[in-house]
Amino acid sequence: MSRSAATASGYNFAYLDEQTKRMIRRGLLKAVAIPGYQVPFGGREMPMPYGWGTGGMQLTASVLGQDDVLKVIDQGADDTTNAVSIRAFFERVAGVATTTATAEADVIQTRHRIPEQPLRRGQLLVFQVPIPEPLRFIEPSEEETRLMHALEEYGVMHVKLYEDIARHGHIATTYAYPVKVDGRYVTDPSPIPKFDNPKLHMAEGLMLFGAGREKRLYAIPPYTRVESLDFEDHPFEVQQWEAPCEICGARDTFLDEVITDDRGGRMFVCSDTDYCQSRVEEVA
Amino acid sequence: MRWNALDVPVHDSQRVYRQLLSVMAEPGTFVEVGGTPQPPSGAAIGAACWATLLTLCDLDTGVWLAPELNTAGLGEALTFHTGAPQVGTPEEADFAVVTPATLEEAAPAFQEGSETYPDRSTTLLVVLDRLDTAGPWHLSGPGIPGVRRLDVGRGEALMKRLATNRARFPCGLDAILTCGTRLSAVPRSTRITRSASEEVDACMSP
Repeated sequence: MSRSAATASGYNFAYLDEQTKRMIRRGLLKAVAIPGYQVPFGGREMPMPYGWGTGGMQLTASVLGQDDVLKVIDQGADDTTNAVSIRAFFERVAGVATTTATAEADVIQTRHRIPEQPLRRGQLLVFQVPIPEPLRFIEPSEEETRLMHALEEYGVMHVKLYEDIARHGHIATTYAYPVKVDGRYVTDPSPIPKFDNPKLHMAEGLMLFGAGREKRLYAIPPYTRVESLDFEDHPFEVQQWEAPCEICGARDTFLDEVITDDRGGRMFVCSDTDYCQSRVEEVA
Repeated sequence: MRWNALDVPVHDSQRVYRQLLSVMAEPGTFVEVGGTPQPPSGAAIGAACWATLLTLCDLDTGVWLAPELNTAGLGEALTFHTGAPQVGTPEEADFAVVTPATLEEAAPAFQEGSETYPDRSTTLLVVLDRLDTAGPWHLSGPGIPGVRRLDVGRGEALMKRLATNRARFPCGLDAILTCGTRLSAVPRSTRITRSASEEVDACMSP
């Protein structure tokens, strides 16, 4: 765990002004009360471009406290550009302690992964979401998709998955795989690999989703039913690998392919760097 | 007399908010607010209700105070500390401060949101004289592993009103329950039933 010495002056704690935080906080309470429903919010301009996690950052800024320990991951890794920048941002504007250890964190902001270690009760997982509307690629009109959610008219989503089967023989959607939350709202779990979808179901921590450009936030409370859409004869399945992680030997984690040279050399390693490292340390 | 505002507004409101978020995410659990100011002296609400108002309300939120609670300058104090406008009718309210008695018989018509915008609904801040576990009300649904039990004292009208949420989902009312310094919540996603054994007891009592 580390705590930065220099906190930027001239900004409110965690960058956002208090009225903006209150607006987002009220929105989050409604999001939790209506699991999977996308609440519109007045998204603010953040000091970084859309697509870098401005939605997640606004949610983190609204819930973060001075005694919280923050962890930020990008595709499972603590040491990639997006994660490093956002972590440094909150060290500067909030002066909070940060960590790379999943178990030590009170708030975890994530881009496109859920840590391998299950969330514990009281932990907050904040997702960065590019396109919060799971029906958007099928129906471009916001007015229409909103009505489809109201009428629970989700048949078209199954048509999309069926077209996958007709074309490829299996459901070819591998990330941002749509889920149904508490048997009601079809929801985009953000572009996490479908490998992570089962972790949404009955998780012990609270999961918050923020889309900055689209100005939507939503939530999946702890202990909530989350089903990945599928068919009886084509049940939902997660990715599997032939070989274990080449660093820690794990067989039950999501693996990234890493190119090691320019002659076709490659290796498969855990995408969750903290999990991988802690396993290596255990063995050593 | 002690000042009725949060000592350190930025950090105190964040702390109270996280408590609110935690009870909303896990309906039927309790937290105790601490280090927050007392409500205006003589007001019929507790510290938890007052801290919630100071944390969530501002000039963007219309607040409706039930007539039986709008005493001892509570309305004036709320407007002074938060800038929140007080609305004349319950259906305009973003937040409504009520007691179970408010919801008896001719219950006010609060805003329940629409099918397309269910989030545009009133949040009830309920002032209770009892808030405990092991009561006759059984809660299940999101945020609850299995079943949690709730005792809200004489909150029969309140729980009956909240139990109707399920049939109107996603529209409905979310309730933040307060009793002294204690906070809990029952969002609209919660299924509410009354235990049969308690009902038998109630019938047998004179």
